[in-house]
Amino acid sequence: MHKVRIILISLTLLTTYGCSSLILSPSDFSWPIENVLKVDEKGFVSEDRYTFTINVKKLFFEEFKDSTNYSGKEIRIIRDKSGYYYITGKDFKNVYLFLPIENGMKLEKKITISETESLTAPVLNQKSPNIELIDGTKKFLLNYKGLVR
Amino acid sequence: MKAKILLSVIISFLLFSISLAQSDYEKTQSFKSKYKQIEEAIKNATSLEECNQIGINISRLKEEFLQDKPLLDKSLYPDNFDASFAKIERALEVRKGDFTQIVELTTTVGTLKSKVTELSEKNQDLIGQIRQLNLKVEKDAATIASLEKLVNQLKANIQQRDLLVRDIVDSLLAEFVKAPSTLNDAEKQAIISKVDSKNLFYNIERTISDNIQFMRVTQLTADDLSEMKKQYRDFNKLWKQIGPKLADVYLNKRDKSTEIANIDNWFSEWNMRINEEMWNQISKLFREKNLKLLPFSSGEQFTNSALSFIDDEIKNLGVKSSEESEKIFYTFTDSVYFAKVEPTWIPILIENNMMTEANKDSIESRIGIWKEKVAPASAFNWVYFILIGIIVILIIAYFMKGRKKQSVEN
Repeated sequence: MHKVRIILISLTLLTTYGCSSLILSPSDFSWPIENVLKVDEKGFVSEDRYTFTINVKKLFFEEFKDSTNYSGKEIRIIRDKSGYYYITGKDFKNVYLFLPIENGMKLEKKITISETESLTAPVLNQKSPNIELIDGTKKFLLNYKGLVR
Repeated sequence: MKAKILLSVIISFLLFSISLAQSDYEKTQSFKSKYKQIEEAIKNATSLEECNQIGINISRLKEEFLQDKPLLDKSLYPDNFDASFAKIERALEVRKGDFTQIVELTTTVGTLKSKVTELSEKNQDLIGQIRQLNLKVEKDAATIASLEKLVNQLKANIQQRDLLVRDIVDSLLAEFVKAPSTLNDAEKQAIISKVDSKNLFYNIERTISDNIQFMRVTQLTADDLSEMKKQYRDFNKLWKQIGPKLADVYLNKRDKSTEIANIDNWFSEWNMRINEEMWNQISKLFREKNLKLLPFSSGEQFTNSALSFIDDEIKNLGVKSSEESEKIFYTFTDSVYFAKVEPTWIPILIENNMMTEANKDSIESRIGIWKEKVAPASAFNWVYFILIGIIVILIIAYFMKGRKKQSVEN
């Protein structure tokens, strides 16, 4: 009985090891500077250096509860060391953190900067491992867990 | 008081902090914008001094952004901070090289320009002297010798000046390495300055007008005219290369566009005058011998005129006396056409596409027909030939007979 148990445990361990996904690490996905992207009339933004295109209509709906008022507006986007995309823009109250998934990006965290005041001229800087948000005289430090200070 | 100072220090510090709180994106954009301005300035630079000033601006930009080098190294993808500066510094050196060459060329052209002016003045003086001598009704040997000397001097001067002006045009052509439509404003301006400073349009006009005047005041030979025609062809070819390019450069300057069009007209006039002079001289050869050909000013007209003259003479064979017809035939053929026109002028006319081989053949075949009618090989001549033949045969027969006798006796 003891032998059978040992064999079963060994088999379980081997199977679990074989099934575990391959992880490449450590990594650094950080962008040196943010990107300022203009939303086109169909709701898309395109990034040239890292070459991706994504539709941000739902983001505007999430922020403003209005999925039509996006054309010509700018969003500011930067990626941190861990690979999270930080997106915000003028008149936003939040910074959205996304991770890439198949055929899109999934919201991982919504960091509220202020419940009452909107950002007037936000900029995002890389302060690895954190991201710095500057809005006029106000400065915030963020990471994927939330507001650091 | 102390509190006020402290407050102002705090406010200054706050303002300074605010100014430091800048987006990395904005910093990069600012760098890129200033970098682009320098790139444009290099492209549009019009002098070596300007290039040197750009060199100073590059150093300033480098200093200004040196503290952001780590950021720019990452953000100036695919280049980095050092590579970006190496790129514009190289571009500046290349541009400086262009100006060094232009300065050298300008010096060369400057020397040429002063020589051209000097020669133009001398030529004007010589043309005046020749006119004066020509006005003298009775020319003694000394006057004629002096006239000849002056003409030769003028001819040499005009040729030398033509070459100098052509050198100026040549040096300009070297600057048109690019098509005019691809030249930027600074490059166009550099060419315009050069054209203006060398007084190019005036000098070309002057060269042509002096050549035309030279034709007026002197009696040119076929060789002189042939040489002048060659000068015209070479110069016109050069102008055809540069003229349209200059017209593109001066597209928006109406007065200069008119000047360029005028030069085209000057070239046409020069060519027309040379052709006119050539046809006049040929016509004069016939007139001097009282052969009245219809006026002509082209190869086709000359051929038709000669053919028409011959046809008329053939038609009039019965009307005029045979001596008169023969006299006209021999004067036309032996004294004028085959003596002067055919050996001297026709090769020049054909070489300059003023007449074709077909025209020449047509005239000469008609002369053949004319000869048959005017001076046919007569039957009397044949009798002479037969008699001579018989005599020769008799002499040979006589000698043969003599030899046979000798051999029988032996």
